[in-house]
This record gives sequence, C-alpha cells and structure tokens, in this order.
Amino acid sequence: MKPIVPKKHEPVRIGFYVCHCGTNIAGMVDVAAVAKYVATLPNVAVSRHYKYMCSDPGQELIQQDIRENRLNRIVVEACSPLLHERTFRKAAEAAGLNPFQVQMVNTREHNSWVHTDRTEATRKAMALARAAIDRVPHHKALEVKKVAINPNVLIVGGGIAGIHAALTLARAGKMVYLVEREATIGGHMAKFDKTYPTLDCAMCVLSPKMASAGSHENIHLWSYSEVSKVDGYVGNFQVTVRRKPRYIIEDLCTGCQECVDACVYREPKFADEFNLGLGKRKPVFLPFPQAIPPVTMIDPEVCLNFKRGKNPDGSHTVSDKCKKTCVEACGDRKAIDFRQTDEFKNITVGTIIMATGFKIFDAKRTPFYGYGIYPNVYNALEVERLINASGPTEGDLILRNGQRPKKVAIVHCVGSRDENTNRWCSRVCCLYSLKLAHLIKEHTDAEVYNFYIDMRTPGKGMEEFYNRIAEEGMHLIRGKVADVYPDLDDGQTGRLVVQAEDTLTNKILKIPVDMVVLGVGLEPHPDAENLRRMFNLSCSAEGWFLERHCKLAPVDTFTDGIFLAGCCQGPKDIPDSVAQAGAAAAEAMALIDKGHIEQEPNTAYILADECSGCKSCIPLCPYTAISFDETREKALINEALCKGCGTCVASCPSGSIVQNLFEDEEIFSEIRGVLAPVPA
Amino acid sequence: MVAQLDPTVVDRNTTLDTLLQTPAGRRLMTCIQCGTCAATCPYGEGMDFSPRLVINMLRRGFLDEVIQSESLLRCVACYACMAKCPRGIRLTDVLLPLVKEQTLVQQSEIPAELQKSLQNLLRYGNPMGESPRKRANWATTAGVQVPLLAQRQSNGPVEVLWFVECYTSFYARGQDNSRATAKLFDALGVDFAILGNEEKCAGDCGQLTWESGLFETLTAHNLEVFNKYRFNRIVTGDAHAFNAFRIRYPMYGLQAPVEHTTGFFARHLPQLRPLLTQRLDRRVTYHDPCCLGRAGGSYDEARALLEAIPGVKLVEMVHHRANAICCGGGGGGMWLDTYYKQKGLERLSERRVKEAIATGADVLAVACPYEVSRFEDALKVVPHDRPMVVRDVVELLAESLA
Ligand SMILES: Cc1cc2nc3c(=O)[nH]c(=O)nc-3n(C[C@H](O)[C@H](O)[C@H](O)COP(=O)(O)OP(=O)(O)OC[C@H]3O[C@@H](n4cnc5c(N)ncnc54)[C@H](O)[C@@H]3O)c2cc1C
Ligand code: SF4
Ligand code: SF4
Ligand code: SF4
Ligand code: SF4
Repeated sequence: MKPIVPKKHEPVRIGFYVCHCGTNIAGMVDVAAVAKYVATLPNVAVSRHYKYMCSDPGQELIQQDIRENRLNRIVVEACSPLLHERTFRKAAEAAGLNPFQVQMVNTREHNSWVHTDRTEATRKAMALARAAIDRVPHHKALEVKKVAINPNVLIVGGGIAGIHAALTLARAGKMVYLVEREATIGGHMAKFDKTYPTLDCAMCVLSPKMASAGSHENIHLWSYSEVSKVDGYVGNFQVTVRRKPRYIIEDLCTGCQECVDACVYREPKFADEFNLGLGKRKPVFLPFPQAIPPVTMIDPEVCLNFKRGKNPDGSHTVSDKCKKTCVEACGDRKAIDFRQTDEFKNITVGTIIMATGFKIFDAKRTPFYGYGIYPNVYNALEVERLINASGPTEGDLILRNGQRPKKVAIVHCVGSRDENTNRWCSRVCCLYSLKLAHLIKEHTDAEVYNFYIDMRTPGKGMEEFYNRIAEEGMHLIRGKVADVYPDLDDGQTGRLVVQAEDTLTNKILKIPVDMVVLGVGLEPHPDAENLRRMFNLSCSAEGWFLERHCKLAPVDTFTDGIFLAGCCQGPKDIPDSVAQAGAAAAEAMALIDKGHIEQEPNTAYILADECSGCKSCIPLCPYTAISFDETREKALINEALCKGCGTCVASCPSGSIVQNLFEDEEIFSEIRGVLAPVPA
Repeated sequence: MVAQLDPTVVDRNTTLDTLLQTPAGRRLMTCIQCGTCAATCPYGEGMDFSPRLVINMLRRGFLDEVIQSESLLRCVACYACMAKCPRGIRLTDVLLPLVKEQTLVQQSEIPAELQKSLQNLLRYGNPMGESPRKRANWATTAGVQVPLLAQRQSNGPVEVLWFVECYTSFYARGQDNSRATAKLFDALGVDFAILGNEEKCAGDCGQLTWESGLFETLTAHNLEVFNKYRFNRIVTGDAHAFNAFRIRYPMYGLQAPVEHTTGFFARHLPQLRPLLTQRLDRRVTYHDPCCLGRAGGSYDEARALLEAIPGVKLVEMVHHRANAICCGGGGGGMWLDTYYKQKGLERLSERRVKEAIATGADVLAVACPYEVSRFEDALKVVPHDRPMVVRDVVELLAESLA
C-alpha cells in the first residue's frame, strides 16, 4: 500500500469509532449518543459505533473509511491502550496512515467499568472523546526508530532453571554468560537424592546438563561471581560482573584434588557448606564430587596461609605462614594463586534472564519446632543430604547421635501458609515431604508420620505419586504440628514428642519420634531487593520477582529484555522451572533473532537554540539519558536511552524540551477538550 | 504478636450474633482447620470442642451444641492457640470469651468455687470476699512510705498510679510482691501513689471467663476513680490487670499509658542496676505469664531484670517465651481447680512445675501474682530432690537491693 502523504495544509479529517465491547462499554455508555455527539465536532468526517472494534471487521471498517473518506486522523474510544493501541495503529498503518495519527480513548477501565450512572457515564464518554478529537489535529507523523540488538545473553543464577535456559540458547548459537554466585552450578537440585514424582536420581539427570553447561563453547560459565552493575536498556545492557577470588586459577586447575589431599590439615575440619554443615571439609576443597566447574577453591577464613578475619573491604591478607603443601602438590600446574583478588568483567548483552531461585525458610523463626535447639530436628534440605550417597554419611541415614531413627515425623507447612511467617503455599513441600517419607522408609525402615494441613499434589503424575506413598503405609495425619519437645521420660536418646491434633478423629496426638524433619517453605533470597533495584525489576509484596502478566506474560518483566525463570518468580517444582526456563530462552531468542528493537517515538528532544545550558534536567532523568555537550554548552538527550517519562520536559525552566506525542499544544488541547461542555 | 485490640477489629458490644460482621469475625471464615490451636492448648485433650471445632461448628450453624457442652470451661485464656494460629484468628480475646460466656449462661450449675468468687467480686470487689476496707492494710508493713492518692498534697499529677490489685493486697504471699514493689519504687525515687480502698479488681478474668456484665461493673467503677485523679501512667504488678488495661479498658475510654512492673523497672534498669548490690547466687528459671508474654509481647524485660541481679544464672524451661505453658490460672481457671480435678484433668501448675524442676533451678521466677500460690501449691505435690522456691521478679530485685 502506498503511504498517504499528507499534503501541506490538507484539512484534518478525523474518523471516530466508539466500541461496544459487547456490553462491557455499551452496558453503561449510550454509544449511539456518543457517536452522534462526536459527529457534530469540528474536523470529524466519520463517527461510528461498533460492537467489537478490535475484531477483524472492526479494523476493516477503519481501513475502509481511511481509503474512502480520505481520513488522516483516527480516534478509537474503547479499552485501555495497553491492550489495543498496537492493534489500531497497525490497522491504520496497513491502510496507509502514519500509525501515530491514531489516538485511543479508554472508556472501559476508566469509565464504564467503574461507574454506575448511565447518563453520567455517557457524558464522561463524550468529554473524553472530545479531548481526543481536539488533540489529534496536532499529531505529527512520527517514525519508529530501529536499534540493533546485541545477541549475547546474561543469565543470573545457575540452578536448574539457569542451566536449562543457558543450554537452550547455546544450542541455538547464542553466546551466554552464566553467572553463578556459588562455587558450583546446580542450585538446590544438585543437593537432592531423588526427585518426585518419578523418584529418579537427581544428579543422574542434572550432572550431564551441568557438565555440558560447563563445557559448551557458547557458554561463559562464571561461577563464584556476582553481577555488580547493570546499565543500558534492552538490546544493549552494559553489565559488570565481579569474579570473587577462589585462589585457584580456573583455567589451570585440572580438578585432580591433589592439593586437597596434600593440605597440612590431614583431616577435614571445617563445616562444609554444600552439606549444610553436616559434613566437614578442608581449607582447600571441591564443593562436591560432581561440581561444575570441577575446580577446587580455598577458604581464606580458615586457610593457614591467610591472616584471620576480613579486611574492611572484604579482602583477605596473605600471611605466607603455611608450608603450602598444596602448592607443592599442584606442582607445575601452578593453579594456586594466593594473591587473587576481585576481578571485574565488563560485558554487553542484549537480553537478561534472571534465574536466582529461592532460599529455604529458616526454621528458627518457628522456635516451637525446636530447630537449632534439639539436634534431632532437621530441615528437609539437610535430610536430602543425609540420604544422598554423595552426602556426609554416604547415604546412611544416621542422626547426629549416631543412631538410625526408628520413628520419624515430617512436618508440612513450616514457614508456609502462616500469617506469622510466610503467607503463601510453597507448592513443593507436600510432594517433597512425601518423597522424603518414602526415601526415609527405604533407607531405615522407620515408621514415618507426615503431618499436613491439606495435601497439595497438583500436576501431572503427582496425585498418583501421593497414592503410591500412601499405599506404602505412611501415617498421613491431617493436622499441623503445634509443638515439638523432648520426651521427658527419655533423658538419653534425644527422643522428641511431636504434638498435633488429628483433625479427622478430633484426637490430640503426642507421638514420640527419633527424628523430626521440617518441611520448610520456599522464600525469596534476602538480597532479592538489591537485585530488583540493580536490574530495575518489580517484586511482589512477598519479594518474588514480578512477571509482566500472571497469565499472558509469565516470563516477561516490566523491564524490556529481562525475563524470569524458575523459583525467583515464585515457588515451583523442577518440571515447571525447566518449562519456564525454556520459555524465557524462547522470549530472549524472539528478540535476538528479530535483530533490532523498535523504539516507541514518544521520546523527548531539546531545542538547542532555546537551551540555556542550566543542566537542571540532567540529574532528574531516571534513565540517565541526558548528557551535556561541553563545547556547545547545551544538554543533549540520547534518544535510545529516553523512555519518554517526561520528567525533564516538565523541569526545563526555559521550556526547551519537547516530547513527541506529548507536545504542549497536544496536551493543552486535550485539557481544553475534556473541560468543554457536553450535552446533558 | 498480639497488639492492642483495635475497636475496628471488634468493639465492646460485639456478640456471637454480630461477630461475623466484624473484621475479627470475617477472619474466622479463613480458618483452615489445621488444629494447631487444639494441639497447642494445654487442655486441648479435655475439650469436646477444641477451638478448631468451635470455629467450624460456628460456621456451620451448630454452635448451640458447643454452648450446651461444658467444653469451653476448660479454656484458661492462655493465648497459646492465638499465638500460633496460622491465620491470625483472635481466639483468646474475641471468640472464646464470647462462647464461654454463653456456655456459662447455659449451665444449670456453675462450679461452686467459681460461683463464689463471682459473687465476691460483685459484692466486695475482690474474688476472695475480703473486706474492701482492708485493701490497703498491707501498706503499713511495707517498710517504706506508700502514699494514698486521696491524701496527696501536691497539686500536680502523680507520676505513677500504682494499681495494686487483689491477690497482692490480701494474700500474704501476694503482699510480699507489693512490699517489694514499694521498696523498688522508693529506692528509685519514683513519685507514686496507690488508690487504697477505692480500688476494685480490674476484672480481666471476669472478661475472659464468663461475665461481661460483671466486668463492665468493675470497669465503670475503676474508671470513675481514675477520673477523680491526675496521674501520668498506670503501673501494675498484676499481669491480668495489665492485660485488661491494655486491651479492654481503652474501649471504655481509658487513655493513660499502662505498664507492668517488669516493663517499668526494665525501663529504669540503668538507674536500678547500681542499686542491685546483694549477690543472689541462684539458678533461676522464669515462667512467662500468658498475659505478659504471648498477649503483651513482653519476654525480654523480666529476663533483663533477672540477669541484672548479681549472681543470678538464668536457665530456660523446655517451653518458654511464646511457647510457655500456662499456670492454669487464667480465664477463671484460678477458681476451677476443684472442678478440673473432678473432671480428671491434670493441674497445669503441676505440669509447669515439672518442667521447672527439670531445669535444675532453685528459683522459679514469675511475674504474675496468681502464679506464686499456684506454683507453691504444685511444688507441695510434685516430687523434687532439690529445693525450689517461687519468687516474683520484683521480690528477687528487692532482695538484691542493699
Ligand atoms: C527440600 C526440597 C526438595 C525438593 N525436591 C524436589 C523434587 O523432588 N522434585 C521437584 O520437581 N522439585 C523439588 N524441589 C523444588 C526445586 O528445588 C526447585 O523447583 C528448583 O530448585 C528450582 O530451580 P531454580 O534454578 O529456579 O532455583 P535454585 O535451585 O535455587 O537455583 C538458583 C541458583 O541461583 C544462584 N543465585 C542466587 N542468587 C544469585 C545471585 N544474586 N547471583 C548469581 N547467582 C545467584 C544460586 O546460588 C543457585 O545456584 C525441592 C525443593 C526443596 C527445598
Ligand atoms: S595454604 Fe596451607 S592450609 Fe591453605 S590450602 Fe594450602 S596447605 Fe592447606
Ligand atoms: S505445598 Fe503443602 S506443605 Fe507446602 S506450604 Fe503448601 S500445603 Fe504446606
Ligand atoms: S489454629 Fe487457627 S487456622 Fe488452625 S484450626 Fe485453629 S483457628 Fe483455625
Ligand atoms: S486460650 Fe489457651 S486454654 Fe484457651 S483454648 Fe486457647 S490454648 Fe486453650
């Protein structure tokens, strides 16, 4: 279609359309009266009402009118522009009109849905229509700018979600930076023994994925690293990554662990993080046998070659006091470097996927369950390690007192569904509690009691799994545990009494057990707020990263080019985390493969002649889009960075900043229009 | 933890019929029937209708069955259920007293001990039926000046209106508490005065037990007396009076700030600490009174005071702070011991004392006057090898004064 080029001084000809939206609008607004009124306004060539403007025939109506009536402005009074501004702009464009000659009036969310008086709502619809009719004559034809997109992707967090997204993108030939805070990728899943509902071995399925993420030519895997700064915008983010010193040169370490064997500490002595302190490690260690990257690290807090305690800036001072048998063992590989310090890497990426996962609820916050007080109370993640063949007991489920438990209570909903802690259901704990019941019974033949409020097992294969576990003879008791305390009749073995009401028999149960497992809930990381600010994201009230739309844009965020995957968006299981990771990778690819970003032309620009060079606008811009041209002594707006917020426009004392689509005359006409009298 | 009862949550005229229209009532609709309340309740096993079941019977329209049973007479208003309820349902201070009141109305026979105390309260303003004219007699034995507000010379407001309460006025062991408090006020140079014979029971247990009518009579009387005088704050050593002043009295117009003696003295710890010169080489375990701990959120104050005493070693019982076990005296339990015994229920004070004994402490410290007699009685029947005494926190503090 040949574009319609408006002739100079060609009279403005407006087409006006008010939508019924079924009864959504027409139920409260007399649309026929609105159309009739608008027909009387200046410059209006066509005024109609129609059942569904967004439907194909509705759009066709506009296009036909543009052609037949030589319309050069369109006003659609319907729903929110968030929903259909693109639709109508595209329709007009297809008929040869510049899309920015279209204006939408929101008479649904702002009018028919929120009012109850039909006459008044109709008058409001008229006033809103008038505002737009008065505004559009000032509209100009604007051009959409295209900016190239950087094809590289940053993924923050190397749990199952981050790994899956990274591999998907890498397979499609995209370059990925996978930044993981811990010394190894794998996240929570790497700590599990088996996974529900299939009870397949967690590492059997995860370790091949970890290994390929570690070796893939398209993946830069930066473990023990954190993002420290993010600048820029979709298509062109500048990111600084801090690589923390592990005192081992990754490229030179072969993972042989000879340094570990040679360390002056003969026996592992220090609490082992990967096993949640249930096992011990040396100052130099590999986080766990299948760690990726398969590289050791040195803990400067305990290594003899460092002075005790951190410096104020967080660094550690080398003392050179140790015999350094590790260095000797490492020999020619020369992989140990005690002088390593923070290393900062600057990268540019076009898109970002957040996959930072969750943390488990700290059960000390519900002191009546005795976690941290009684040694035989464990949280579920600790039990995952205890029954894991690569865990501190090599899969032999023995308690801190060396005994094998004969009776075990599993407490559901610890730190979930509770006004006093976290209000949400953590979604995975019913199922993992059933899983642990099975595994504990398998390992020890213990009697297992699961105390639940509601057994929540949604999802494919999950109810069947529940059934299977019930058949195995677990005691599934409907009642939340109220109290855990030592069995006073038993001073010796550390036996505990678990007290709950069996709500289905109205009986208070006091069950003596050898071990209590707390089904802790999932919560956002305590530093999620920092990340939120750094990446300019939104968080839900609970602190989970907020998706753009809970149903229709579940992996998008409110910041273009940043996507979410896995539990950082909310509690979910592995299948859902992986599905979301795939979706986030696809969304990133959709942007990358298009090759460019289209920028809404509602940006601001400075009329250089009028700018006095006072610089007052510069610090106000939330997107740091304004710079100062020192030679000309004028401020300058980078169109690519400007988001069209309008802050600078309002601030300029000499009125020299203009914003496309929000020029003074456009806004003043709109105000005059909305205030003009409408028929009673 | 439990905050001041906001009149928008429930107002004083709320009844079982209007409850569901209040915000607190609508909360009931969110109960997930988890049974935490029933399982944490010290008398949960003895109830035919646990708090959980009360809620569901109410929601289904079967509340009459609950009221006709005696079930709720076993509620000792200990706030344990409310503290742990995952839905934040106001059991102890809203729902349960309303149901309990109706339960008592329905009873053909009210337990005699309770009946008697109730009559005494109405007639004498104290549950033991002592002459109200003797209420301030203890003050002559205090060893320091205990001024009466009515006889105060100065025109300005008194800093502390000390509300002494019943057990602490009439019972010998309660008077020990009062004498200690008077000494501490005196040592700190606090400007204080008591109401003497004008004071009547604050009525907390009345409210949490049975008789909102009786509670209102007592409240009206005390408020009228308060209105006669000028004072900056009310301080009381009775955790129940503290509870009533904090939660209920504001609904009837009380505005003055209210403190428990433990809170007051903890606030003055910088001045008090240098005065605590006598060493008390004792192992002390502290029992959190329900009305101070779970209901008032005050756990640290009493512990800070105990630890300020030279020589004291603080040890904790298995159940402490928010998880403490009630002494069994609240919500009318003080006058239901015989009844509970008839029903075959364990005395809660005995259960509690067993835990105290297990700590190996030689002092069981308390901060509510009900507890002294309850625990001393319990210690008479629960066997123990090491001697153990019961002392109010203020008694220990006074002992440590030079
Ligand atoms: C005890 C327990 C048992 C479970 N069992 C099962 C099961 O059997 N089956 C099942 O389907 N699901 C199970 N789940 C749920 C499962 O753990 C999650 O679905 C899954 O781990 C989510 O993966 P993720 O990648 O989103 O998060 P995570 O596993 O939490 O991974 C996030 C990663 O991001 C890293 N990270 C965090 N912050 C930063 C940062 N600022 N910078 C860089 N990196 C960062 C973390 O170190 C971590 O490696 C269980 C959960 C628990 C608690
Ligand atoms: S420097 Fe010494 S203590 Fe540190 S890892 Fe090497 S041998 Fe072990
Ligand atoms: S999944 Fe189950 S255990 Fe976890 S919070 Fe929800 S109901 Fe409770
Ligand atoms: S604890 Fe609360 S939510 Fe649970 S059953 Fe009792 S009242 Fe209902
Ligand atoms: S207040 Fe105490 S005694 Fe009363 S029902 Fe609740 S837990 Fe039981």
